[in-house]
Formats: sequence, C-alpha cells, structure tokens
Amino acid sequence: MARACRIVVDTLDALEAAAEPGVTTKEMDRIAREQIEKAGARPAFLGYRGYPATLCISVNEEVVHGIPGPRKLRDGDIVGLDLGCIVEGFFGDAARTVAVGQASPEAKRLMTATRESLFAGIDACRPGKRVGDIGHAVQTRAEGYGYSVVREFVGHGIGTSLHEEPQVPNYGPPGRRERLVPGMCLAIEPMVNVGQPEVEVLADGWTAVTRDRSLSAHFELSVAVTPFGPWILSEPYPYEQAEVANA
Amino acid sequence: MPEAAPRPRTEGSSEPLEVEGTVREALPNALFRVELQAGRSASVTAHVAGESSLLRLRPGDAVVVEIAPYDAGRGRIVRRR
Repeated sequence: MARACRIVVDTLDALEAAAEPGVTTKEMDRIAREQIEKAGARPAFLGYRGYPATLCISVNEEVVHGIPGPRKLRDGDIVGLDLGCIVEGFFGDAARTVAVGQASPEAKRLMTATRESLFAGIDACRPGKRVGDIGHAVQTRAEGYGYSVVREFVGHGIGTSLHEEPQVPNYGPPGRRERLVPGMCLAIEPMVNVGQPEVEVLADGWTAVTRDRSLSAHFELSVAVTPFGPWILSEPYPYEQAEVANA
Repeated sequence: MPEAAPRPRTEGSSEPLEVEGTVREALPNALFRVELQAGRSASVTAHVAGESSLLRLRPGDAVVVEIAPYDAGRGRIVRRR
C-alpha cells in the first residue's frame, strides 16, 4: 500500500508540474494514466462505480469527482487533482489542489487552510483516539480560517478496496465513532469551501460543485495508524527502530 | 476519492410540510379533523399549536396545518388563514 501511495503522489507531482494554462483536463488524465501504468500500477478510479477516467479533476467551484474533458485550464484556476492506483491488490489514494499560473490571494489562503486541515487530521491518527477526533481536528482548523467543510463526502478506510470501513467525516464532535488501533489505514480528505458547506452533484452524476459556487479545495493522504502515531503511507516509515524497542 | 456519505440530518430535511385545509370536526382533547385542500379526500387529525385562539376553532374554519414527515395522518394546526 505504501508503494501504491508513493506512485499516486509521484504522479500528482507530475500533474502539478503539467497544470499550465491551456492544458485540457483530458490531457491531464492521459498524463495520469501513463504515469501510473509506467510505474507498474493500475488506475483505481477507472471503472469504479462506473467512473470513466483515471483522474478526478475539479476546477474552482468544483469540489470533487470532476470528470476530465475538453475544458482548458486557465491562469488563476485552482484545480483539485484526486488520484488512486492499485499495486498487487492494494490501493493508494491521494489528492491535492494546485494553482494554474497565478492564483488569487483568497485561493492561496483556501489551499493553505485545507492542507493544514489535512495535517491536523493526520496528527489525530494515534492509537486510543477515535475517528471523530480526526474530523473534529479538521473542522476546527478549517473553520478557524472562516471556511466551511463539506459534509456530503467523507474520507474512508483503504486497503484491498478503495473504500473500506470506517467512514471518516471531516466534521463532528471529538471522542466519538470508531476507536483507532494500530494497523488501520485511512484516507483523510478534507474538502473545504470558501462559502457555505452545501454541495450539489451535476447532471453527469459525478461532478460535485459548491451550491453557492464558491471556491473549494481538496487535499488527501492515506495514513496508517502505528503504535507511535501516524504514518503517511507515501512517505518513508517515520519512526526509529529504537522507538520500536522502547515500546 | 471521497466516499459519498449518507445525507446528514439537516434542518431542511426534516422540515414539516405546510398545507392549507378546512376544519371539519372538533374532536375531544383539542384535536380536530381537518380536510386538506390539496387532494380533496385527504384529511388529518390535528392538534393545535400554542395559541389559545386556535382552541376555539369550529368546523368550517380555514387553517394552515403542518404535516409531520413521519406520519402523514397527523398534523399540527399552526394558524388560521
């Protein structure tokens, strides 16, 4: 799973570099697919519940699940890139929002807030905490910026399927829901709106947009709960052997 | 890729439906049988909301009724119209 997550994040790096004005979202999808297949993995989203592409690409007021197409990226757009792949039966899933050209100060602030919310959530991934503590940490950070978190979509367990138990909401009271134990792997993914939290799904059945059409950002990483704390699966294992010996 | 969550309970989703009707019969315990305008045949057993003027409702009075989302046969008279 760490390998799958690494491939996803490497591919996101390539996509971020490719996100220039004039590039179509379809072209971004092609780059994603090529990179993933070159790395020896398979796209995880293609065909998932009928999803038609490798990449979810969500521009500006689009929150998540944007389908790649002929739309050209423009200077000042912010683009959510959400990607998953499968390696030897294990899934990796990650996302980030990037600026095309020069983003507005508000857009930059939103992206910062959302990324910080993600890491606040990751920091709560410790044995003895509960799933509700993750959502609470995310919500507190995002709302501290005056933004709102999306309720209709949630993070999820990940492993030999893309979506496993438990669901990981980005809001709610602390101390509730499932207890975190070492070995759990969770995809944590705050979706944060400048305006109101409500979203609606467009007629294509996938693309979710903010109801008030305000800007939205999305960051996601897959994390394992270890006895010592969170392990972001796309990163090297962060804990020393000494810590293991002292446990 | 985020998972679609079950729609959270919001104030909007459990908001009662308001319909217009006419009182047909006064029942014991400040209940009334109200015939609804929408769909002639429909009628509900309704109790009155707060206001004491509503307690003096008589057959024939025109009222607005809130219908509970979980029991379409019961309602609450919220005001005269």
